Amino acid sequence: MSKPVLIVGGGPAGLAAAHSLATIGQKSILVEKEDILGGAPILSGYARLVPSNEWAKDAIGGMVERVENNKLVTVKTGTKVDEFSGKPGNFSAKLSDGKTVKAAASILCTGFTHFDSVNKPEWGFGTFENVVTTTQVEQMISTGQGVRCPSDGRKPKRVAILLCVGSRDRQIGREWCSKICCTVSANLAMEIREELEDCHVYIYYMDIRTFGLYETAYYWRSQEEFKVKYIKSRIAEVTQKDDKLIVKGEDTLVKRPITIPFDMVVHAIGMDPNVDNMLISSIFGVDLEPHGFLGKGNAYGEIGATSRPGVFVAGAATSPESIDDSIAQGHAAAMSAFALAQGPSKVAAE
Amino acid sequence: MPIHEEHLIRPENLSTHDDLIIDGIDVSGHWSTFIESRVVTDYNEAIEEEISNLPGGEFIHRCWQCGSCTNSCTVNAVNPEFNPRYWIYLIRMGMESELLRDKDIIWQCVSCNKCTYACPRDVFPEGVMKATAHWLELKGHTPKSPSTIFDEIFTGQVVETGKIEEGRILRSFFKRTGQSLMQDWVITMVQRMIARLPVKMLFALGWGGVFKPRTSQWARARSAINEYIVEKEEDHRQALGLDDLVDLAKQELSPGETRPAD
Repeated sequence: MSKPVLIVGGGPAGLAAAHSLATIGQKSILVEKEDILGGAPILSGYARLVPSNEWAKDAIGGMVERVENNKLVTVKTGTKVDEFSGKPGNFSAKLSDGKTVKAAASILCTGFTHFDSVNKPEWGFGTFENVVTTTQVEQMISTGQGVRCPSDGRKPKRVAILLCVGSRDRQIGREWCSKICCTVSANLAMEIREELEDCHVYIYYMDIRTFGLYETAYYWRSQEEFKVKYIKSRIAEVTQKDDKLIVKGEDTLVKRPITIPFDMVVHAIGMDPNVDNMLISSIFGVDLEPHGFLGKGNAYGEIGATSRPGVFVAGAATSPESIDDSIAQGHAAAMSAFALAQGPSKVAAE
Repeated sequence: MPIHEEHLIRPENLSTHDDLIIDGIDVSGHWSTFIESRVVTDYNEAIEEEISNLPGGEFIHRCWQCGSCTNSCTVNAVNPEFNPRYWIYLIRMGMESELLRDKDIIWQCVSCNKCTYACPRDVFPEGVMKATAHWLELKGHTPKSPSTIFDEIFTGQVVETGKIEEGRILRSFFKRTGQSLMQDWVITMVQRMIARLPVKMLFALGWGGVFKPRTSQWARARSAINEYIVEKEEDHRQALGLDDLVDLAKQELSPGETRPAD
């Protein structure tokens, strides 16, 4: 009987890895520090996912159910890994519940942390009630409450979405593109326009990065069918006057300063490295890449390799990543871990 | 006092006062040069709606400002101030005052449609230019352009009589645009026509001018066409928040003149 694979993190990547391993008859232990599985889409209450347009609680909920009902997966929620030692094929992990488990390999699916908008005080989050984040708008939609101004519950007539909040900004040490915020913002803009027909939505951008096929389904569609307006401008500051938020910046296409009133301002927050990455790095003995995400080997050898043999990585732990790609990486890393769990003799025999 | 980088400031945004007292303090002299704010303080969301309701403007919301229209523009090559990309943006963002600065050149689009073929998003910029010129006229920002007047006379005559009489169109056009009938090119044209004796045509021109022939049994067609035109015009004016509908067919008739029985 081979040793199980230790999967750390029960979000889309971890759920996919556990499912993959179970499918090919391999046991795994899924450790999740929160009390429920599902990761960011469930914990943060996302609404409809890109690009499937399925509700997060249905799509990711289905993945959770599939794993929880599988006898080959041992789920440990509310649990962390405190110590990790050993060699490929023979690791030992001490968990926060006091137990020690043996594992042939480990897959780190520890995900990311949403950027905290308080770190960009000039854009008013935490100061003005009606400045919110994309995550909060997701929650307004997923709870069925609808998009409303937090100050008084009124329906906004004009909403500004500011892109690259916590991304592509050397001032706050975040030089990466968070990859999915453009697409998510275009999607939210369409949802707002669908719910509130007389609400105008403006997106302030530096570049639009609705990569690949998202171009037509999100960027084009939001303009062509939903009349969302895109303005090339990095906003300088958000202030408040009476019940309006005043957005200041430069409209670069007309080369003129703008001071425009809005009912609601939405920060399209980026993906930070998991706040626990320093700890994860020291416990598992894996290197971080320069931005602070978990470092990853090249794609041509072993899929999902880290700096430590036998420890793999998948999903947004390793860079800003979409849910679909996190799932794909979870499946792929499972293959690498499976090869180790089967033992070197079997690999050689084939 | 010299103004730093004065060439960056539009002349109309500079105001100088030789004699100015603010809060009891005399600030005359070189201090009294003021630069007006160029800050955009609001979006007028109605303008895009209005122009998209006029023929040709339907797809303006698709624009993503790539500049293919301006790059391919025939008129822009001659006059760099003619910038369809920019106007589309001003309309979309509702920057009315900025748009009105260019009201006297927007009509200059020659409808070559190069932009139509260059546009990656099928905005149909040529149509937007037409719709915008139309919008400027309907809103009273610009007088009717000669081509609009010509269109009205031409259409009016067809609707009224079911026929086109070139001589009458020309005379009406000259009359409404305040031009003399005795223009050099007209005289030359008539002289040459006489020299080559297209008697029948000259006669028809004269006859048409005097007797105003009309297609028989035209009344039903006229009322159907008129009804359609009125309906469309009404839609456009309503979209722009205007009233006072004009009966296009009646423009062919002089004031006080009544329509003869068919």
